[in-house]
Amino acid sequence: MGKQNPELEQFANLLVQGVKGLFKERGEISFSKEPVLKRQQITEYEGRMRVDGMIKFDNEPTYVAAVNYYASAVEMQKKKALGTLVVYVQQEYVPKLIRSLQYPAIDDEDEKAMLDSIGTLGNIIAGRFKSEVSAAGYIELEMSAFNTFRNSAPTGIEFCFSEYELFEAAFDLEGKKRLVIDLSMGVVPKRR
Amino acid sequence: MVNEKLKILIVDDSDLERELLMEVLRGTGIKNDFLEARTGEEAIEVLGSRYKEIGLILLDWQMPKMSGMEFMTAVVKVPQVAGKPIIMVTASGTEENKKKAATTNPNLAGYIVKPYTPESLVSAIKKYV
Repeated sequence: MGKQNPELEQFANLLVQGVKGLFKERGEISFSKEPVLKRQQITEYEGRMRVDGMIKFDNEPTYVAAVNYYASAVEMQKKKALGTLVVYVQQEYVPKLIRSLQYPAIDDEDEKAMLDSIGTLGNIIAGRFKSEVSAAGYIELEMSAFNTFRNSAPTGIEFCFSEYELFEAAFDLEGKKRLVIDLSMGVVPKRR
Repeated sequence: MVNEKLKILIVDDSDLERELLMEVLRGTGIKNDFLEARTGEEAIEVLGSRYKEIGLILLDWQMPKMSGMEFMTAVVKVPQVAGKPIIMVTASGTEENKKKAATTNPNLAGYIVKPYTPESLVSAIKKYV
């Protein structure tokens, strides 16, 4: 176990700021209350972070998208992740959330379309967060393509080995928890 | 200006993003046909075999196997296709990324950040379609 990033909470706040900005600009629905941030332990399994979507929504089916960040293109090639962002949306709310961001309607019985949709959402949230990190004076992070899962990631996902904690950000829409994002991030150097 | 007979190649690993691009462009009266690719590798194949049909490329950055940046790095080295207008349509909107894209492809035709408005998309591509 390495040294936990002392700035993790700052990154979680940048994430919340980015997601709020995204929904303010694009969302036809707004958050019912301030997002709830919670520090949690990372569950590691064979060197990868365990991802279980169903526990986020009382065992309801959940779609999951994961994106990794890297300190450089070289680190990305080596699959040496610096950060991990995981987006969870309860299955029944995926089409509505996607429509609220002005994307075309999707068929909620088409699993491929649902996975693609959660991936698309993960990509724009991850991109927005990356911009917030850069604007806060940190180095430019490399960002992976999205990976998607239904309910859980069977073999886990990449994460920064020095980290043992993540921040969970829970967002309420229409009076209920609808969107949850887990963020783990190793130490990101400031730009010179 | 791109002839209406020329096609627009959309390169994005998200089916939804490709669909949205086509929907928005058709909604603004653009009559060009579209070609689609899910990765940079697929785009290279399409461009290699159909480059004479393609008048504009809309390119995502983060894609599996070959990213948009890797695709663009390859394209600018091939004289037959190096001049094709490419507009990046990506979730990465930092100034650093914009500079990197422009350095990789000095003829980069535009850079649009997702999620975009129809107006910003049309504004970026209007001189090419």
